This record gives sequence, C-alpha cells and structure tokens, in this order.
Amino acid sequence: MELIARISKGTKMDQVYIPKNRPGLTTGSYVIIKPIETKSQTKKLNLYNVKQIEPIKMDIASKIIEAIDQFTNQNIIISGSFLDKGFNFNDIDIIIINENKLDINQIQRIIEKELGIKTHIIQLDNKALINGLQTDPLYKMLLSKCIAKKRFIYKTKNKINYKILDLHLLKSKILIDNFDFLSGNEKYYLMRNLIAIALFLQNKEINKEKVDKEIIKTFDLESIDQIKQNLLEKNKFLKRYKTIYKQLFDKIMKNASK
Amino acid sequence: MPQNRKKLIDLLIGNLSNSIVHEILEKAIEDESISARYNKELMISLNLAKKYRERINPVSSPLPAKDIGHIKNKTRAKVRSELLLRISKGYKNINLELVEELVNNAIKILKIV
Repeated sequence: MELIARISKGTKMDQVYIPKNRPGLTTGSYVIIKPIETKSQTKKLNLYNVKQIEPIKMDIASKIIEAIDQFTNQNIIISGSFLDKGFNFNDIDIIIINENKLDINQIQRIIEKELGIKTHIIQLDNKALINGLQTDPLYKMLLSKCIAKKRFIYKTKNKINYKILDLHLLKSKILIDNFDFLSGNEKYYLMRNLIAIALFLQNKEINKEKVDKEIIKTFDLESIDQIKQNLLEKNKFLKRYKTIYKQLFDKIMKNASK
Repeated sequence: MPQNRKKLIDLLIGNLSNSIVHEILEKAIEDESISARYNKELMISLNLAKKYRERINPVSSPLPAKDIGHIKNKTRAKVRSELLLRISKGYKNINLELVEELVNNAIKILKIV
C-alpha cells in the first residue's frame, strides 16, 4: 500500500502522521519515506567545453538551476572555478539571463539554506550578455566553459572597445605594486585578465586553456600551479609583467578616442 | 617601524586611487551592464586597501590629522592624474567633480577619518 502524507514540524523531531485506520503498514513495521517527485524529470543541462566534471558537481548544478527556476523560466548559466577539477572554489558563479530584475539576495539565501553553498550571482538581460561576450575578454573566457539551462551562442565576434579594455586593464595594475601582498590565486586572476586582454586585441580565440597556455609561455613558467602556489620569482616576473602591461596600456591609450 | 608604516600608507593610497579611477571610468562608459558584470572584481582594489588599513595603527580609530591630509591629497592627485591622462587622449564623459566626493567616501569606509 502507498500513502501520501505531509512532514510536520515537531519539537524535538519532525513526524509524518498517517491515519490510524489503514489497511497494512502496521505499527512497528519499517517503511521507506521519500519525496514525491513534483517536478518534471531533471532536465538535461547544456555543457560547454566541460570535458570532465565530478558527478556530485552535476548534481549541485542541477539543484541550483532547479532552485532558481522558481524565479525565472529564462536561461541560467553556471561558470567559473566550480567547473575546474577538484573542489578548490570559494563560491559558485551564476549568471541569470532575465529581462526583469530579480531579488538576487533572496535567491542567494535560498540556495545557501537549501544547499549550503555560497553563490555569486549576477543578472543580465540578453543584450548585456551578448555585449559582454563581444567586448569583454574575461567574460568571453568565463563563458567559454559553462553549464547552461538553455542553449546559447557563446562564440561571438570580438568588438574592440578601447575604453572598456582600459577599465579591464586597470584591474591588473594592482599586481605591480602589491606583488608581496597578493595570494597566488589573486595573482593568477590578475595575470589571466592581462593575458586575456592581450589575446583579445590580437583577435585570438579566448578560453581558459588557451589563456593558461599563453601565461605559461609568456612568463616562462612550468605550470599554472607555480602562480597559484605563490612561487613566482618576483624580479624576473615583474619585469616581464610591467613590459606587457605597458605595451597594452600604450596601445589602448593610442586608440582611446576611437 | 616608520618605514613599514609609510610603505603601507603608500600601498593603501595606490589601491584606493585605483578603485576610484575605476569607478569614475565605469560611469564614463555609460554601459549599465559593466557594473552588473563587475561588482565582484571591482572589490579587489578596495579590499586590498582595507587589508592595508587594518595594518596601520591606530586600527580602530581615525588616523592622525597629518596622515589623513597626506592620504587625501595624494589619492586625489593620483586619481586626477590618471583621469587627466585619459582626457588628454580623447576620453569623454569623465566627471572630475566626482573625485572629491569619492575620495571622501572611501576614506570614511576605510575608517581613516
């Protein structure tokens, strides 16, 4: 026999009340309690350049998308270090593509309560997403590897806007003065930004692997871990970094009025 | 260690200026989606400035008037110089009037005053 009942809140323990007069399910017998599937079967998610991912992360991604689905029927994209191998991420980057403004704080609270995971959510409309992909090297890189609820076109033609690039490049300036005070991950982020801008200006394809490869080549490193573990040789590294920064800055300034 | 203190104040000024220049340039671009996309990244400079502030005594009360004056003047000058460079290269919509207000706000956030 099957019964449908609701879990009610108790003082010390929660409980499920079932009718006293019932055929079967005698007192003392062991039963399985499981939720009724109220939602349609988990929808297939779209993976972009995610060659390998731990099953538990796919489960988390599905649950996050399910949680946000209550608020929007439009696209939800998960990206960032969550999709890298291992569990070395602080929060999960989520982009919600929605034409109307949603209460992001509420969504963050719900996900944190239900899944115990911190998220960093931004919401954009479709136009802003396309604009970001066309003009923003770091965005292009971020979205080159993602999980999306719906399919979307992530390969767009680069549109060089020197003022936007100036804004992005400015972020990487802090590595020059703050080398001794930055963590390995912060250094990696700032280098990635710098190199993504350089590749973007050369109209080259941008994705995480290509940017990492270019960083290794440009700074003559053994691996990316050398940066993340904060093992860079300061003087040699800064000399090269400053040269590249200056070259990019001069190029951007030269074209600033365009 | 006065030298260390001076270095920390210089680093604080550098990061503070960087975050203010960023904020003014962002406003000049007039692309609303920029701020939506970058609210996380933008915090790096300001967070670094906060870290430095936490290492400059007195940590929990305002800095001496001499330091406040120095930080305000140097930050203001750095921000203006970065912005003027861009104006000379043909940038438009850069609002220099924002400098004073943003510097004052930032030093309050960092509990410098």
